[in-house]
Amino acid sequence: MFAIFDKYRQVFLTGLQSNIVYRFNFAVRGFFSLFHLAAVVILWSAASLGGSGGLGGFSLGQTITYFVTLLILQFFISAFNEDYQISEEIRNGLINQFLLKPINYFAYRFSIFVAARLVSGLVVIVPLLIALPVLREYLAFPHDYRVLLFGLPAMAMSAVIQFSIAYCFGLLSFWFLEIQGFVILSMALETLLGGQMFPLDLLPEWAYAIARCLPFYYQMYFPAAIFTGRLTDPTLIFQGYGIQAAWVIALLLVNQLLWSRGLRRHTAVGG
Amino acid sequence: MLNYAKIWSASARYSITRTLMFRGDFFVWSLVELFWMSVNILTITVIYEHTQSIAGWTKYQMVLLVGTSMLIQRFLMGFFWSSIFEMGRNIRSGNFDFYLAQPGNVMFMATTRKLDPDSLLNSLVAAAVVIYAARQLGLDPSAGQIALYALMVLCGVVIHYSILVLSISLAFWLTSAQGIEGLYFTLTEFSRLPRAAFTGIATQMLFVWLLPVVMITNVPASLLVQGFDLTLSAWLFGSALVWFAAAVFVFNRGLRRYTSASS
Repeated sequence: MFAIFDKYRQVFLTGLQSNIVYRFNFAVRGFFSLFHLAAVVILWSAASLGGSGGLGGFSLGQTITYFVTLLILQFFISAFNEDYQISEEIRNGLINQFLLKPINYFAYRFSIFVAARLVSGLVVIVPLLIALPVLREYLAFPHDYRVLLFGLPAMAMSAVIQFSIAYCFGLLSFWFLEIQGFVILSMALETLLGGQMFPLDLLPEWAYAIARCLPFYYQMYFPAAIFTGRLTDPTLIFQGYGIQAAWVIALLLVNQLLWSRGLRRHTAVGG
Repeated sequence: MLNYAKIWSASARYSITRTLMFRGDFFVWSLVELFWMSVNILTITVIYEHTQSIAGWTKYQMVLLVGTSMLIQRFLMGFFWSSIFEMGRNIRSGNFDFYLAQPGNVMFMATTRKLDPDSLLNSLVAAAVVIYAARQLGLDPSAGQIALYALMVLCGVVIHYSILVLSISLAFWLTSAQGIEGLYFTLTEFSRLPRAAFTGIATQMLFVWLLPVVMITNVPASLLVQGFDLTLSAWLFGSALVWFAAAVFVFNRGLRRYTSASS
């Protein structure tokens, strides 16, 4: 039983090492994100001045805090280029080696993903600390330890959803030569419905109700809303957990289906 | 000049033939751009549910601004984007030799080789967004104003083109110009904001004047919304010239350093 965990623990440790090599790239990416934050601050400050002071019942500080949280979450749980890596392994035939070994490809990839996000998540803290003197006046986190208690499970499930979606796209390489188009297409949807352009609660009620049923909501927005105190009602949070768990299961099933169907089409060439 | 027009039209014919070969790809990429433009428009719509103005710009004025930014970006992507980024890869791999052997200006040859018809198609959508916003605002621009708007959009394209060529030319020195794509998209975020929103001195210096990403969209859009401003238009025209000259200079300097690669 423990042997199984040990196997993936080793994968995780190797993933950790190989991602520490890229710490500089992650840091540069983190610094670029500060530009994005600057644009966010400029836009929302102007928008809040042009309204009656608040933005959908939240202050400017709360809105900026939301975007900062989103940025941190992005480096801790979102899929970066996992889809392309998987696609490459399928196209190059590197995947063949996993078919011969007693290793589950999803678990293998997921272990590396967790390692990679641990590294990128810790690295992004550096540029944020540097920006802290400027950012501080905008930050308004809720002073309630329960947001962490409620937020962390949501964050963990979000990571699984993030990875599963990337994994699905990677597996499409069994059918398509080029997946970039699909990835960027879905990225547009994820950006909008995952709450990266604006907090989703700013949507009109009917649109928000629809968004709450979609997986994108649980990719990013759900944990961010809990952490920043936008979503406080325990009933709604537990309802959210339920829908989120349902999406996790659904996506895992789709992954399994794509994997078994895809392998039937796969031809292992060479050695 | 005529000679270059012929070369360019041959490249254009080649690109269109290529697109017709990969119709599925064309369809997916057209959708990609359409989706991203919708994301930006929807964001504005949602923000204006909660505010009346952003730095003095009303909803449809803002749509016009974002439409202008899209228009410039589509033109850049349609005419130059693929070629410029391929240039970066070619400098690294040594395939750039191919352009040196061609009978024509190297910068022209290397940056105009490929067209992206999907972006050009979407530039019509961007233009439609601008026209729609202008209609909603009840604007009735004169032919002169429209011509000036087109000229300012052209200046914007020239500035973007020059900034990109300049950054990719760094590959002559650094051999790798990766990551520039990401930085470019981050910068375009600023081009969708009104100039008056930049209240900090540092951000104003950096994004409005030094890197004119904000002016590129604000000057043509204000031209339609608030009327012609000679100083600003002249400034944009001037900076297009300066940026273009800088790009030509750096590119040619880099070219001297190009050592090819043995294989």
